[in-house]
Amino acid sequence: MIYLIHRMKKFLTIVKAFWQRALTYRFTVLVYRIGEIGETLVLILMWSAIYGGQKNIGGLTLQEMITYILIGNFFNAIIRNFLSSVIARDIKDGRLSMFLIKPMGYFSYILSQEIGRISLATMMSVLSSTLVIIFFINTFIWDFDVTYLLVILAMVILAFIAELLLSYLIGLIAFWTDEVDGLYATIDRIKKFFSGGYFPLNLLPIAFVQVSFALPFAYSFFVPAQLYLKKVDLSTGLKGLLIQIIWILVLYGIIKIVWNRGLKRYEGVGI
Amino acid sequence: MTDIEVKNLSRTYEYYRKQQGLLGSFKSLFHREKLYAEAVKNISFSIESGELIGFLGPNGAGKTTTLKMLSGILHPTNGEVKVLGHIPSQREKIYQKQFALVMGQKNQLIQDLPAIETFVVNKEIYEIPDKEFQENLEELVNLFDIKNILDIQVRKLSLGQRMKCELVAALLHKPKVLFLDEPTIGLDVVAQKNIRDFIKKYNREKKTTIILTSHYMEDIKELCQRVIIINLGKIIYDGKLDDLIKKYAPHKLLKVVFNGNGVRREEVEKFGEIDEFNPYVCTFKTNRSEAKNTAVALLSSNLPVDDIIIDEVDIDDVVRKIFTSQS
Repeated sequence: MIYLIHRMKKFLTIVKAFWQRALTYRFTVLVYRIGEIGETLVLILMWSAIYGGQKNIGGLTLQEMITYILIGNFFNAIIRNFLSSVIARDIKDGRLSMFLIKPMGYFSYILSQEIGRISLATMMSVLSSTLVIIFFINTFIWDFDVTYLLVILAMVILAFIAELLLSYLIGLIAFWTDEVDGLYATIDRIKKFFSGGYFPLNLLPIAFVQVSFALPFAYSFFVPAQLYLKKVDLSTGLKGLLIQIIWILVLYGIIKIVWNRGLKRYEGVGI
Repeated sequence: MTDIEVKNLSRTYEYYRKQQGLLGSFKSLFHREKLYAEAVKNISFSIESGELIGFLGPNGAGKTTTLKMLSGILHPTNGEVKVLGHIPSQREKIYQKQFALVMGQKNQLIQDLPAIETFVVNKEIYEIPDKEFQENLEELVNLFDIKNILDIQVRKLSLGQRMKCELVAALLHKPKVLFLDEPTIGLDVVAQKNIRDFIKKYNREKKTTIILTSHYMEDIKELCQRVIIINLGKIIYDGKLDDLIKKYAPHKLLKVVFNGNGVRREEVEKFGEIDEFNPYVCTFKTNRSEAKNTAVALLSSNLPVDDIIIDEVDIDDVVRKIFTSQS
């Protein structure tokens, strides 16, 4: 128990420190939101134009589509992270050395750091997404089914963890390649596509939907948004949670292997 | 008690050669020539508790590589390392809490926050009790006189101030063994002296075992009684700094100042090997044992001698000579 409290204290101290860092760069944090809000608005505008007079596309009315975009982006704001580049830079510049000599694992340190780094941005994002939702208050479909909300909550938390692990894994590739920007950008696009961030996945052939259900990405956008709209039932949601847990375990296992092998390669840069 | 024990330690790096130019870059996408560099070759040494050792060597000699193996960042390719009874590459927490590594060119301070925040984070990471932390912090802050910069963003500090904060961050957990990799690099003479004085005092008061690498001979001369010289991955000298001079510089320098119209070269040549000559100042290289005799001979001759200074060869020159003769 005491051990746990100690661990929590370490974790919180690092989170707090990086919270402060984020506050130092409040301009960046604020300006990011403009782009986010803009993107959401453009998507809504685009879909409004596509619908024209049509009542229904892919089983969604325009109102549902707008809700899908708004709520999906709201979830996404909570889930995403920017961990890969931080890790890759630590490895490339040899800063990892300074962590390797400390009596705390790099994994725990960097996760605490990232949570501290993004929590302010996340809150701002959630706030701005909420503002956009309020702006569309008449179009947005409000639904407070507690069971559904609980499943969605669990799904968002697991998606956060899965994405954190995935980013960590991508970052570790820098042990071999030094830079991971290209890899990250590519995976980010694949991720966005399979998550349903560009458009709802059920517009695509059923095979795509099935593949995406087996991947972790759909659970960061498409599935929780569809759950909210009650376009998929609870059992799909629960099955989703299971798939997420499996992914988290698999990613964790791969990370362990990659970390150990990568560390053997790590040369700390410079003789 | 022996704190650090290194036996037949080697480390090999892998690297690639890329042909010059764009075409070379394309070629290297498919095929790269793999090369190996032996950064450290079969070195052995041991260091007693409380010693302050100077680690000397030109760039790429293997100093940092050795320090990295001592702190567990790198696995040795061959050989054994033991520090405080632990094998560093196993990265046991119990060992990590007992040593610190400070690199002049890498920092652990969080750049965008004041140094005090890193100190607090380190307090948690190293699990330092509140009271001990307060006491250590106060002591170190006073020693360095940096109370007034603790709440300024690290990025905005001068290099010297930053280095002081780096040292504080590394010493909060009272390490028994301290590795300093070029702690004075890039600092001005005043800041260098500050850091140097601090290291000296800290070693004396806390009996901390310290390995120091530096390119500035001033640091080594001032701080270390024993030096280990390493070049091309091999130890070429391990012993007292004073003995180094005796071993590699078997002669002393005899500087003679003449007054009046000075002297001609032919007049002084018979007194010994001339190192530098002008009509008013002449420097001879003489054997250690003969320095006095030469001086007497000069004084009793009818040359217009004004002053004689007998001096050791400069340590910088000795080290330079060693390095160049090696490569």
